[in-house]
Amino acid sequence: MARFFVQRLLTALPILAMVSLITFGLMHLIPGDPAAALGGMSATPEQLAQIRHDLGIDRPIWIQLVRYYGGLLHGDLGRSILLGQGVAAATLARLPVTLSLSLYALAITLVLGLAAGIAAALRHNSILDQAVMMGAMFGISVPSFWLALLMIIFFAVELGWLPTGGYVPFLQDPVGWLRAATMPAISLALLQVGLLARITRSTMLETLRQDFVRTARAKGLPNALVVGKHALANALIPITTVVGIIITLLVSGSVVTETIFSVPGIGQLLTSAILNRDYPMVQGGLLIMTALLVLVNIGIDFCYALLDPRVRYDER
Amino acid sequence: MPKAALLLAAPLLASLAGIAQAEPFKCPHRGGDFTFGQEANVPSLDQMASSAIATRNIAMNIFEALTTRDEHNHPILELADSLDEAEDHLTFTFHLRQGIKFHNGKPMSSADVVASFDRYKRMGFERSTLDNVDHWDAPDAATFVIHMKRAQPTFLEQLSSFSVPIVIIPAEDRDDPPRQLKTIGTGPWQLVDFVPGSFAKLKRYDGYVPNPHYEDITGFGGYKQACFDTVTFRIVTEPGARVAGLQTGELQGVEDVPAKSAPDLKGDKNIVLLPLLNWWIQIMLPNTQAKPTDNLDFRKAVQAALDMDEIMDAASDGNYRLNVGFQYPGQPDYTDAGKADYNLHDPALAKKLLQSSGYKGETVAILTNKDYTSMYNAALVVEQELKAIGVATRLEVTDWPTSTERFEHPETGWNLYFTAWGTQPALGALATMQFLAPPTAGYWPPAGHDDPDVVAAWRDMTNLPSEQGRNDAFARMQKLVLDRAYAYPFGSLTKIQAVRANVVGFRPFRIPRFSNVYFRD
Repeated sequence: MARFFVQRLLTALPILAMVSLITFGLMHLIPGDPAAALGGMSATPEQLAQIRHDLGIDRPIWIQLVRYYGGLLHGDLGRSILLGQGVAAATLARLPVTLSLSLYALAITLVLGLAAGIAAALRHNSILDQAVMMGAMFGISVPSFWLALLMIIFFAVELGWLPTGGYVPFLQDPVGWLRAATMPAISLALLQVGLLARITRSTMLETLRQDFVRTARAKGLPNALVVGKHALANALIPITTVVGIIITLLVSGSVVTETIFSVPGIGQLLTSAILNRDYPMVQGGLLIMTALLVLVNIGIDFCYALLDPRVRYDER
Repeated sequence: MPKAALLLAAPLLASLAGIAQAEPFKCPHRGGDFTFGQEANVPSLDQMASSAIATRNIAMNIFEALTTRDEHNHPILELADSLDEAEDHLTFTFHLRQGIKFHNGKPMSSADVVASFDRYKRMGFERSTLDNVDHWDAPDAATFVIHMKRAQPTFLEQLSSFSVPIVIIPAEDRDDPPRQLKTIGTGPWQLVDFVPGSFAKLKRYDGYVPNPHYEDITGFGGYKQACFDTVTFRIVTEPGARVAGLQTGELQGVEDVPAKSAPDLKGDKNIVLLPLLNWWIQIMLPNTQAKPTDNLDFRKAVQAALDMDEIMDAASDGNYRLNVGFQYPGQPDYTDAGKADYNLHDPALAKKLLQSSGYKGETVAILTNKDYTSMYNAALVVEQELKAIGVATRLEVTDWPTSTERFEHPETGWNLYFTAWGTQPALGALATMQFLAPPTAGYWPPAGHDDPDVVAAWRDMTNLPSEQGRNDAFARMQKLVLDRAYAYPFGSLTKIQAVRANVVGFRPFRIPRFSNVYFRD
């Protein structure tokens, strides 16, 4: 197993190198630069040129590339042009915000998505099945920004139950965190709940038709045991793959949610950095996020081995 | 008395005279936490190195400068107690107010002023303000002297600019890199916590010494008192969420209420809407290096086709005022010179001019962006109005940085560029017309072929010794720019700020000011 992890980590290195190069290239290929953001609408061309000179972005691109990789080799991701803050520090300061929101959304997704999918599969072609599929379709179809605004109007303005936005760190005030994070997490999770429910339903339906399930029922095992131990355990492998994708979608999908609910997370940070052409922030931030998602995928691979004894990474 | 001294002394004397009759402002109620919903992210609180409005919103409550502007945009003294200008206009001697302390408790002296000017000269965003300054020094702890290379009639006007002011910082922070300045000023509010992208929290600075020459706040200066315990700027970029926060009372004030939400909020007795007239001048600039906008008759045809009411209505959802020029109505320099060329909406004349221009159906590229909805909407209307007179158009929609970069490169194929000027018109004619003067003329005259009449008017605006002479030159320049269609100002856009009904003393201004504002008991 250890050998597997080392191998996976080593294969991640070229991925990170490619991501860094592509990000650098794309950021410098698209028109516009950070001077426009720093200068604002009132800046004269002369002032914009002065900002470019101060930032060193008027230098040849290959010099900027060499500097960037030189910094990376020394573990320095650079300094955000807009924030005047180290890229690593700025990203890591926001990481807990996005992760806590994503984990909350993942919990909602797993509980609702799995329960709805299993229930629909067990009551195949029933009203419950139809209702679950309709709900899943709604979740997949409804735009998250629209749902977010509706929730703000209903739960915050009309009922006054939850705050309209903002963020409270969990360790500072767990109840405050729960109140602030609930609406963003729901709006983030709803699409994934629909996705997971549909996948779980179809996988469970397929598994429930297998011979070993029929055998288990023939042996007289209780239905809960047949479903929980035999059918679900076997259905979990493809579901786990989907959960891996869902985690990626939750992190990347946080952009809109964080903007609407004023949550200071990675999504908001990177969006602002891209719009303002904050080159070091985009390059470094995306590199950290890529590394994180690579780790998540290695974790998913590890889960395969736990769920299916036939999967052994250290066997040849 | 030297002219510049008069300029500053007029409001000063008026306020001194008023002291005998009026008591300085005293908070009727102290305490409470005010949360303000701000629309834009704050990149940094380094007021010397950022011209972002979002930075100014917060930093101008924390930092102060030697001079600033009053409610009517006149230069006034802030951290300086008095100013002497030499007869030859080459030396400005600032006598500093006494007893001023920074938020870290350190008394302010001329050494701090020297350090602040040194830092600004190295990395200040508008350091060209100091180009004509030979050097500065501090003969004693309470005096700061600026020595000019040559007389510059507009120097004090530029020095008092609030665009990127030369704020006074502790001398020990002089080497802080750009956008990493420690947030320690002398203002009535001091920083408690700042999380970029989320919030900035300020608290009342109990060691603040108000300016005794005034009785109340005026512009960015005057007699300031912090009444709230804390003020928190919360970044709420989504307009719907800002309005919702105001309705629930989570936010006690917000900026930029969407025009479509205003009618609903008007009926809410808990909310007071505060229209901020003249937020910016919506404008379109032609590329005079590219065909067909290099042709005067073609540019005049465009001018004749425009219906400013239609354009501004779309741009602002009805919150606008027509405005012929480059200053806001009511400002001291305001002039309607050139009004004969404004808001013609005469398609017949436009078609006639189009014909005389020799236009052969070339496609006109309209460069706009979606980051600023008003610019995008204005471009949509202009496109239709040009199509109506027979001009082939192509709308090129990018984001703001791309749009700005292409504007700087007239060879990139654009003809009409959409932008807006907000802060500069508020600062005065000089700050605004620099956009239309060489070497940075926004209409892009071919190199070496600047319009000599415009250049002459600009020189007079900057060099004539009398204020009247400079104002006349401004009127001349505005008329020339409109007559030769070097710019198409559409009108002034209104921005709506709002507060909860229990907030007293909040007056709409270019930045939200939280001094002399309090909660009703």
